[in-house]
Amino acid sequence: METPHYVAARVQRALAEDERTTELGIRVDVRGEQVYLRGQVSCDERRHQIENVAREAAPGLHVHNEISLVEVREPGEEEHL
Amino acid sequence: MTELRIAAVADIHLGEDLRGHYRKKIEGIERRADVLLVGGDLTRHGTIAEGRVVAEELSGLPIPVVAVLGNHDYHSDHNQEIIDLLRDAGITVLDDEGTVVPVDGVRLGVAGGKGFGGGFAGKCASEFGEPETKAFVRHTKDIAERWRRALKELDADHKIVLSHYSPVKDTLMGEPPEIYPFLGSYMLAEAADAEGADLFIHGHAHAGTEKGVTPGGIRVRNVALPVIKHAYTVYCLNGDDC
Ligand SMILES: [Fe+2]
Ligand SMILES: [Fe+2]
Repeated sequence: METPHYVAARVQRALAEDERTTELGIRVDVRGEQVYLRGQVSCDERRHQIENVAREAAPGLHVHNEISLVEVREPGEEEHL
Repeated sequence: MTELRIAAVADIHLGEDLRGHYRKKIEGIERRADVLLVGGDLTRHGTIAEGRVVAEELSGLPIPVVAVLGNHDYHSDHNQEIIDLLRDAGITVLDDEGTVVPVDGVRLGVAGGKGFGGGFAGKCASEFGEPETKAFVRHTKDIAERWRRALKELDADHKIVLSHYSPVKDTLMGEPPEIYPFLGSYMLAEAADAEGADLFIHGHAHAGTEKGVTPGGIRVRNVALPVIKHAYTVYCLNGDDC
């Protein structure tokens, strides 16, 4: 089995460099045959694309998509400086 | 003196898939703010098509919009074309320079640009060794020097630095420390501290935190969309009845 460390590095690079994702802020953890993806994105389609790219970069491993959606809310309170 | 309401956001990362979404969230912004500052990473891949989406979403607002690019906006080597098409859409784009925005008789000076990395005092890269390392550090140094000049030349009542990269570690908290050198540089803070400013706005650190301060005491705000979780945040300068 490939060292989890290198799998994580490869998945992370794929997420950053693949044109479908170009996501730099996704945290990738590999434990045995389990791959965990964490972070935040702004729409569901991007969340799925990240999962697809991660699966391709880690064939045969189980990918857990734990990425959450950031909902862009209306502006809240002001801060007085 | 009249109070200034500064709306700020960064890392909107627009693309075809988000067309129209962001615009909906900023309708009515003129009731809450006098100016909108956008701190880079306007697109995902830096393509011209994405740049057009950004221009559409940010143009025609009743308040002035000042923006800088981020690293994503450089990815396809069309950074200059993106700057041009944003400017054609009436958006002021700062590329290591300053501008003065008149707001109700108050002159708001904004200076900045994309910025770059290198790390923070005590744990930073230096201009030594391989040409690649030297080029990396020199890029930030040159930028900081241009910002210093731009700030100095600003004839304004208030000054704000608008950047993509961070000037301090404070607002990176939440990011892995190993990547701090790619998230910002103390040289950006040093330039601002040397000339003085009321506020330093940046983005880039999606997992960071909102509030920090430069060694010289300038308030720093990381307004990356995943950090502020709102369409924008409003900071009020001067007075307390915003
Ligand atoms: Fe970003
Ligand atoms: Fe960025």
